[in-house]
Amino acid sequence: MKKLLLVSLILASNAPAFAEETPITGNVQTRCLITTDTNGVFGNPSPTKLSTASTDGGVVPVVRYDVTLADAYLAKVTTPTAFSSSPALSDSVSWTGSTAVTKTTDAGMSIYETNKVTYGQTTQFDLTIAGSTWFSSESAALYGVNKSFPGGSYTAVILAECIAK
Amino acid sequence: MITLSAPVYSHEMTPTYPIFTDSFMAGISVTTMNLFNKRTDVSYYEIGVFTKEWEPIPFVSQYTVIPMEYLDTVAFDVYVSNLSLGSVEYICSVSQLAVGSTVSSKICSRVK
Repeated sequence: MKKLLLVSLILASNAPAFAEETPITGNVQTRCLITTDTNGVFGNPSPTKLSTASTDGGVVPVVRYDVTLADAYLAKVTTPTAFSSSPALSDSVSWTGSTAVTKTTDAGMSIYETNKVTYGQTTQFDLTIAGSTWFSSESAALYGVNKSFPGGSYTAVILAECIAK
Repeated sequence: MITLSAPVYSHEMTPTYPIFTDSFMAGISVTTMNLFNKRTDVSYYEIGVFTKEWEPIPFVSQYTVIPMEYLDTVAFDVYVSNLSLGSVEYICSVSQLAVGSTVSSKICSRVK
């Protein structure tokens, strides 16, 4: 009986380990991620107008902000005031633009739209809740006084900023 | 089944609240920032250091314009003279767009 116990102990002590502890480490920190959800496209509803509005045949650009800490960032979205590339234009272009919250991951974020501040072409939102917010920006350009835009390719840029508070 | 999906492009910079420490050079402070590029349409990010009133502050880094591949993460040091350190409020990265891109992204960390 003693021999059997001894053998059992020896076997047990030499048994290979089938379980190991593998640590998983990570680092959570405040961050802001700006994601281009949808690139905008200008529609050309009339010869004098380019517009991203869907009613004008355009595609509204959508930018998503992800923040991991509440009340740490301001989101600023600025609609274009000039073309970044276009055919040669001999007259002035007048721009209008607006930005709105179109989707959120938290119902409380609806207050962003109520509390937004607009100055010039820039709209500022206070990101007081952690999570994701989608902003849509409509932009329209009118050429001269009822002038037709020359044929060619037009590009304009939206600036999406995330500024730590 | 047909699915339609739009590509997503992201830009991220951390930490949100960087802290400057003494560098290996007397009179110069340094902080390390991390930049993540998930934008296929962006290969360069420009770095800037600003005051509270958005006046630019002289600084030194490995690059002022950082070349980045898609899905790259880059750590870079920002060196600032201790004479300017009290005025530093923001460290920003701005995407440099390729022709045809329509959204420029800018992220600013704040030195508290």
